[in-house]
Amino acid sequence: MSDTHPIRDEDLIAFRSGALGERAREAMAARIAADPEAQATLAEWDRQDAALAALYGPVAEEPLPEALRARLAAAGTAPRRHPALALAAAVALLAIGAATGWFAALSTQPGPPVLTVAESALKAHVTYVAEVVHPIEVASDQADHLAQWLSKRLGHEIKAPDFGAEGFRLMGGRLLPGDTTPAALFMYEDDTGRRLTLHVLPEGGTQNSAFQFLSSGQTQGFYWHDTGLSYAVIGDLDRDRLRAIAMAAYDQLI
Amino acid sequence: MSLLDEIEAAIPNLRRYAHALLRDRDSADDLVQDCLERALSRRHLWRGDGPVRAWMFRILLNLHRDGLRRSPRRHLVAVDTLPKEPSGPAPQEAHMDLREVQDAIGRLPEDQRRALLLVALEGMRLSEAAAILDIPEGTLVSRLGRARAALRDMTGRTRPATGSKEGRA
Repeated sequence: MSDTHPIRDEDLIAFRSGALGERAREAMAARIAADPEAQATLAEWDRQDAALAALYGPVAEEPLPEALRARLAAAGTAPRRHPALALAAAVALLAIGAATGWFAALSTQPGPPVLTVAESALKAHVTYVAEVVHPIEVASDQADHLAQWLSKRLGHEIKAPDFGAEGFRLMGGRLLPGDTTPAALFMYEDDTGRRLTLHVLPEGGTQNSAFQFLSSGQTQGFYWHDTGLSYAVIGDLDRDRLRAIAMAAYDQLI
Repeated sequence: MSLLDEIEAAIPNLRRYAHALLRDRDSADDLVQDCLERALSRRHLWRGDGPVRAWMFRILLNLHRDGLRRSPRRHLVAVDTLPKEPSGPAPQEAHMDLREVQDAIGRLPEDQRRALLLVALEGMRLSEAAAILDIPEGTLVSRLGRARAALRDMTGRTRPATGSKEGRA
């Protein structure tokens, strides 16, 4: 190939960094195959890249430093989209709950409807999570039917959110009695058999509420109210995980 | 993936790049922290045009330039004053001495280092790297050519064949 002009470094750079079309790339590959000097240059660049990867590659595999993780976590719970996570309110309620017991705390609250979902959700959770034979009425393999049926009975379009990222898969759902309209219960299970429930109740007016925390012994949950529907997520999980699941539900149900 | 997830997913790459750019763990992580802060505070302006990763690299490089303007404490060492590798057979096939490469990266002019690391370390295509650096692709290519050659000289390696006549007496 002594009759062709030598391959310039610029040509090799374009070749290596994906800037050539298919035909130009094939043509350049053929020229390189006949040019030991170009091959040596590419091999030298490979060694440079390998040295850089050896020097700095491991940084990308490290867990993120605490300061970065804290900043991301704060952004993830920022009140921009989520219902404010008014933790002050939740903590206050928790304090009351701790002092007097959950149901006592409920009974002393003047009755905004959002508390109805919390109380009935907790009762239903305790009742059905312990059920071995019939925890649900319609299983997740009939997910479409489940969503249609519950939507029709509640008079609202509802669907079961996906908590796969949190390690929980949908088992199915059931219809629950309510004061004025029925409520829906979705049950989820992780691979250790731990269960959590999501309750949806069509009541409470049009105003939205912050996430509220509730607890009764090991059983804890978050409930909130969003454009005509009240929700509660209940489980025997720690608060941070429950909150993550509640936020996943909020994001998917919005 | 939400924008926040994409921001988070870009961080390991940003840290790798910042560490190579600054060669100092603390200042690299400070730079990434500032980058994250700026990205989060501006995420409501994000219109979804283009990859989040490229957007964050642009933020990081802007911060890096700003920081250099504020504290121009880094100095460049002219290539020809660098100690050459001790005489002896050139280890062309061997792995490169990592410390030597690290030093050489530190001695590259800033614009060459930024460009080379985007392509050689982050594996970006020319079009992506050129967009991040806000330069034409042709400019990037010649910059990369100079950086590659300078790195080769600084690590005591001469161009095979013709180049060896100049490099070694």
